[in-house]
Amino acid sequence: MPKQKKEKIILDRVDFFYGRRQVLCGIKAAFYSNTLTAITGPSGQGKSTLLGLLNGMWNEVPNTHCSGDIQILLGGQWISPLRKEISLSHLRRKVAMIFQEPNPLPMSIGRNMAFPLKLSGIRDKRLVEEKVRTALEQAFLWEEVKDRLEDSALNLSGGQKQRLCIARALILEPEILLCDEPTSSLDAKAARIIEALLVSLKNHCTLLVVSHYLDQVRRIGDRVMILENEGLTNGAGLSA
Amino acid sequence: MMVSKDVFAESVFLCCAISSAIIILAILGFMVALGIPLFQEIPLSDILNGPWAPHHGAYGIRAMIFGTFLIAFLATLICLPLSLGMSFVISSLGGRRSRRLLGAIVRFMTGIPTVIYGFVGIFLLVPLIREGFGGPGMGVLTASIVLAILISPTMILFFTDSLLAVNAAYVQAAKALGATRVQRLLYVMLPGALSGMASGFILALGRAVGDTLIALMLAGNAVRTPQGLLEPARTLTAHIALVKAADFDSMAFRSIFACGITLYLFTILATIMVRVMTRERIAIS
Amino acid sequence: MIRGFAEKTIACLSWALALSLCLSVTVLLSYLLIKGLPSLGTELVFGKADPLNVLLGRERVFDGIFPAAVGTLSLVFLSTLIALPLGICSGIYLSEYATPGMKKAVGGLFDVLAGIPSIVVGLYGFSVSIFLHHHFSERLGPCLLISALSLGVLVLPYIVRSSQSALEELPAHIRCTATALGATRLQNLVYVLLPNALSGIGSGVILAIGRCAEDTAVILLTGVVATAGLPSSLFAQYEALPFYIYYISNQYTNPAELSNGYGACLVLLGICSVLFMVARGMQKRLFHWALYSR
Repeated sequence: MPKQKKEKIILDRVDFFYGRRQVLCGIKAAFYSNTLTAITGPSGQGKSTLLGLLNGMWNEVPNTHCSGDIQILLGGQWISPLRKEISLSHLRRKVAMIFQEPNPLPMSIGRNMAFPLKLSGIRDKRLVEEKVRTALEQAFLWEEVKDRLEDSALNLSGGQKQRLCIARALILEPEILLCDEPTSSLDAKAARIIEALLVSLKNHCTLLVVSHYLDQVRRIGDRVMILENEGLTNGAGLSA
Repeated sequence: MMVSKDVFAESVFLCCAISSAIIILAILGFMVALGIPLFQEIPLSDILNGPWAPHHGAYGIRAMIFGTFLIAFLATLICLPLSLGMSFVISSLGGRRSRRLLGAIVRFMTGIPTVIYGFVGIFLLVPLIREGFGGPGMGVLTASIVLAILISPTMILFFTDSLLAVNAAYVQAAKALGATRVQRLLYVMLPGALSGMASGFILALGRAVGDTLIALMLAGNAVRTPQGLLEPARTLTAHIALVKAADFDSMAFRSIFACGITLYLFTILATIMVRVMTRERIAIS
Repeated sequence: MIRGFAEKTIACLSWALALSLCLSVTVLLSYLLIKGLPSLGTELVFGKADPLNVLLGRERVFDGIFPAAVGTLSLVFLSTLIALPLGICSGIYLSEYATPGMKKAVGGLFDVLAGIPSIVVGLYGFSVSIFLHHHFSERLGPCLLISALSLGVLVLPYIVRSSQSALEELPAHIRCTATALGATRLQNLVYVLLPNALSGIGSGVILAIGRCAEDTAVILLTGVVATAGLPSSLFAQYEALPFYIYYISNQYTNPAELSNGYGACLVLLGICSVLFMVARGMQKRLFHWALYSR
């Protein structure tokens, strides 16, 4: 039975320039709620750049220029991350990002998890503990760290660090999760765990995953898009 | 032929390094040697703690020690918020143009000669203080204010370098989690920069202790322990500059070597503290 | 949202403090310019004497800053001459030949030297001159040579540090290139390492020169006086710009002299600013390109 496909992110004729170099040209795409879209393509073609446009990472970088229209449905309203007036902090709490290199902050696991809550002003201890536990469970990490939340996050293994970063991103209940090569720095076993985790998160949010591993892309993506020669095209080989 | 040239060059370089080291140690040596007659005649506690009355045979430098540290600490305390504010703006809060402009202004300040700060201080600040607060105008407060401005580039540059040296990945992580600029600064950059900033604080304090001209020109130079911020005071450095005109062999004259030794020992202490702190930072990272 | 309020307050406060510091520097410079610009001119430098006669040595200047300027320049020249070879060679030794233990020990001593108050260095120079006076010749005393030696000691750490770090920061592959082709250590140093480190070393030298030009505390104790005319010999007393400014602030007798003081401030500030900008230019390797684009 075909699922009800609601549009979540729409890009229309998006161009992006870094200085005078054009990185993205005429991108037209739509991404649907609660799906995982994998974006792949030759390296250096702008996959990470595209992700960065969605959570405003380029807004503070000088010498860059973006034209076209990007619309994201957040909290029932369509907003555009390219507009100057929007609050970037609010945007990034709803559109979260995971990086290729896991980047836990130099604090304990518990404080890493509570950090986004602190930024948003949520300080009630019991509420914080509850949210931390929920997020760590969603990220398949709770069982492994529940007894050592005081330990430094820097002592975790690579795969655990990445799951921590995912949990930390999930704690504010984002509607969209952007993943920029999330398993490139991990070994095969850790990568599999992350893949399963990302697929499980479809129930909670919309995922865009950039990856240059074709087999991974086929395994996890409901839809595959290829970014090459600055455009974005549908790829063949959709998984069921 | 080549080999002996190499060896020759190496020995030349070694000699230079060793001579430089010897010179540094000789500084302390000379001062101790010339100050010894003073230490032989008057007990150490009298020198450090007694009053200065050369006509009565009292050569205590207590008032000067007090003056030095009062002015230096006050200056560093005034400088601290100024430097924190400036370094926050330069490292994080400002836009690209303001950062560049402010950074250029601070770096330019390092090139302004000390005597010029003193000169402008005498003719611009002293009348202001006299009118605003009363008193003679030349005193602890005036000297501390100008000294604070003098040492601020040192503190600012240290603070800024420490803040910017924090691992970029952490700042990026905070940025992606929606932290505003101020939040990134306070919760990620500042904690990581603390030990570097502490070194900067100590170095600025060292500069304040060691400065001669500001105190000489602006602090009034009266040999008394100042009872208030508007009263004049004399620092160890100014004392050395003022007394050198006295008779070569008098005890009053030799007291300046006691001042010199005190300053030298303070420098060693400050250097050790900074080294310990930097080693700690390297160990942590 | 008390936290949000506190964060905003900190941001506003930081800007306010930063701007007030800028304001005070601007006030300082504008005050100096306003008071000093009117007095800039040949009369400031040469007083009532004829400039040409003075330059040819036929006339003495009594109320201009020419002798002080010459004194400062001679001082800078001599002290750089003394400190430069000693400093660069020490820096080379520390970066290329020293064991880690020696680096720490000698490096520590240089840190102490860098932190020593300048008046203590002056005191040292003064002690040396007393020593010479008592043990060698009654005619020896604080003079140009002693000042230059003391200033050399004062700026030694700048030169050593900048040479050492300029060499240490050279990328590893530059070090391997010449040695892989058979060069000895010395050849590698002279033909590859030093030319590449030149801009870093150069900026340290320029900073040292600036320090010599502006220093007052050292020269106070080692031979500077208010009226000595042009320095007649290495063993004579001399005048210098920073001391002139200090002397005027203390002992000016009429508005014209005070006005000269402001003018002298501008001249000294101008000299130091130029030196400083040259140092920055060197740091940015502009001179390096000039040397290499043959």
